[in-house]
Amino acid sequence: MNPPPIPSEAPPRMTSVLRKLFLTLFLRGRGARGLNKAGAPKSVGQKLLLTLLVYALVGCMALGFLHSPVFVFAAYLHAMTFFFLGLFIASSAGEILFNKEEADILLHRPVTPEAMLWAKVRVLIEVSLWLAGAFNFPGLLVAALTGRWEFSVVHIFSTGLEAMFCAGCVVLGYQLCLRWFGRERLEGLMTMVQVLLAISAVLAGQILPRVIIPLTGALKLEDSPWWLFLIPPAWFAGIDDALAGSAAGSSWLSAVLALGVTALVLWLAFGRLAKHYEAGLQMLGETAGPKIARGGRRRWLDALVSAPPLCWWLSNPVSRSSFLLTLAYLVRDRDVKLRVYPGIVPMLIVPFVFLFQNGRHHAGTGAAFGISFSGAYMGLIALWGIQFLQYSQHWLAADVFRYAPLVGPAELGHGVRRAVLLVLALPMVVLMAAIVWLLHGASGQMLLLLPGMILLPVFALVPGLGGIAPLSRPPDAAKSAGRGAHMIVALIVSMLVAGLAMGSWDAGFFWPFIGAEAAVAAGFYFFFKLRIRRMRWPALD
Amino acid sequence: MISATQLTKIFGAQTAVDKLSFDIPGGQIVGFLGPNGAGKSTTLKMLTGMLEPTSGSATICGHDLRTDVLAVKRNVGFVPESGAVFESLTGLEYLEMVAALYGISQSAARTRIQQFIAFFDLSFDTLTDKLLGAYSKGMKRKVVITSALLHNPPVVFFDEPLDGLDANAAVGFKALIQMLAKEGKTIVYSSHILDVVERVCHRVIIIDKGRLLLDGKPDELVAQHQSGTLEKLFTTLTGGAELERRAEDFAKTFRS
Repeated sequence: MNPPPIPSEAPPRMTSVLRKLFLTLFLRGRGARGLNKAGAPKSVGQKLLLTLLVYALVGCMALGFLHSPVFVFAAYLHAMTFFFLGLFIASSAGEILFNKEEADILLHRPVTPEAMLWAKVRVLIEVSLWLAGAFNFPGLLVAALTGRWEFSVVHIFSTGLEAMFCAGCVVLGYQLCLRWFGRERLEGLMTMVQVLLAISAVLAGQILPRVIIPLTGALKLEDSPWWLFLIPPAWFAGIDDALAGSAAGSSWLSAVLALGVTALVLWLAFGRLAKHYEAGLQMLGETAGPKIARGGRRRWLDALVSAPPLCWWLSNPVSRSSFLLTLAYLVRDRDVKLRVYPGIVPMLIVPFVFLFQNGRHHAGTGAAFGISFSGAYMGLIALWGIQFLQYSQHWLAADVFRYAPLVGPAELGHGVRRAVLLVLALPMVVLMAAIVWLLHGASGQMLLLLPGMILLPVFALVPGLGGIAPLSRPPDAAKSAGRGAHMIVALIVSMLVAGLAMGSWDAGFFWPFIGAEAAVAAGFYFFFKLRIRRMRWPALD
Repeated sequence: MISATQLTKIFGAQTAVDKLSFDIPGGQIVGFLGPNGAGKSTTLKMLTGMLEPTSGSATICGHDLRTDVLAVKRNVGFVPESGAVFESLTGLEYLEMVAALYGISQSAARTRIQQFIAFFDLSFDTLTDKLLGAYSKGMKRKVVITSALLHNPPVVFFDEPLDGLDANAAVGFKALIQMLAKEGKTIVYSSHILDVVERVCHRVIIIDKGRLLLDGKPDELVAQHQSGTLEKLFTTLTGGAELERRAEDFAKTFRS
């Protein structure tokens, strides 16, 4: 053996080596058990192409604003870009920035934390730019073809800046948590940070178009409400308007704000606070994890489960164990929490936006629309929650269910479903009902929540039809197109029912509609339950 | 090669490593022993620059762990207990990535990798065509060991390196570390398989609850404590003396 000499200096290509690594890991997924190389990149390429195509198709909606003033068109594009990028970065950043296994692989190598952070952020920004590019492509192409090429050029620049702002904000959020709360509390705070970032992205992405759309065609930037300039996408739209639109003073102000705030965020995240990143990574390498409150919470939970009505509801010991397992993972497991809460909460912002948007109407179609569609969203919480709970980094441990003398996953599924209904769906439904009551009073329109609620127990059974035990699938499988398709189909069905409910409300035959819906839902409910009860373990691939 | 002075790591209210001091010269294989939770892995993580000590100091090949951590990392190889790898890379991609982190060119890395796969009896096709996620535990372990030695470090830390290796690979591995020590490398070998430690290591360090209990040559320590074997000495020191009686009591619970 003729060993190569140990290099005396840090290799200059460090960031590019790491960038290549993290990009590969991002595209292929971190867990690839059972795959061969020929399968992995191909499927990744197809998946990525499909995702970009979907973004481009959604981006076609921007064509409706093509003849609007530059600020309106740009604001729509930036708001939706912010929405998609914010959600993507918020949902991916935790896994990319703070991966537990990575500590054992990389932290003893001669790699500086700054190089790792930069490489990861470059990957985040790169992928963000692909997604932003796909979403903005139809609008920019048509704008260029219709002679507004200067807008297209400026918008590419402002979108790049927006992507850097989004990535910088996410990194800064984690760095500030590390600085203010210390690395010991990072693990517990990561979920909250990610949820807050996702909520911010959804709010900024949803509010701006709702303010802008009614003003289409008649907007002057100077007439806009002052608080519009608190919403980041409006700043980036200001760049477009300043350089390729009205060039109004307020547009220039927005543009300067966009540049200044982005520079500040990037400096804070990557310059000033970068050293805290190393502390965060080290925390994940530490063997002593966060402490679980001794006895207290668990005793309380045991008492709750042993007392009526829960002891009746969870009379089967397998369901009860599965219920407790689900609660433990919903409360303690970083990976599950980072998937479940940031996945569900942003989706629930949309119905709240519906409600508040129409809150000023105490009666009429606006209010009815808000309540009905909010109810439809609420009906989907359990489905989303249970689907997310199929995935875990400890998926191999779920083999214990197969060793156990169980004929199939039915009872396990019941436990998961009941836990999700109790701790996720029930509080959200109560909160939603309270908001509707506060906004609209005890009006009969509150009944429009019913159609969505009737669907809730039926949708909650749908994940069980796959015969998948809780926490038994690798996290990367959560990114499959099939899971997304299920969710979209459920959303469409739910929205369709909400629309029909509104129609029946207006036409005066709401109660017959509810009766019919309840009968159909009951039919599906019992059919699904029967199917699940008869289900046997699917073959292991 | 390795010098630790009053090395301490505290997590919140828990002291994982408590004022640990030792010196290990080049060419020595040192068994680093302790029961579960004794602080072995935490000590190894501190010595490899993965964790910052709460207090105390250590130098590896003359480089201070606190002030020159990158130089320390360039001089150590580490096989962690978890055996974690990036599962969506092929074995070759993974090893080339690791080589690049140490500034080794792709061609030099290839040559070295070829030598390792010949030693470990791995197929090059497997290394290039299969993602690491599809490897058996033993094959993954071989890749991790290769990745720890690729840059020819003067100090190597092994945390349960035999975990998952088949009998032949384990025998080959033991021969390998003895050869590496003969070439002057310092080997720190943490394991629960005490008979292997007794046969392979020149010296053992036993810790419990983060504190140093014993440090010396295995045969001398065994003779000094008249325990017969290292295993008996270890169980006596770390509170495992009544294990047989406890096993009997436990077995009785199945009879009732």
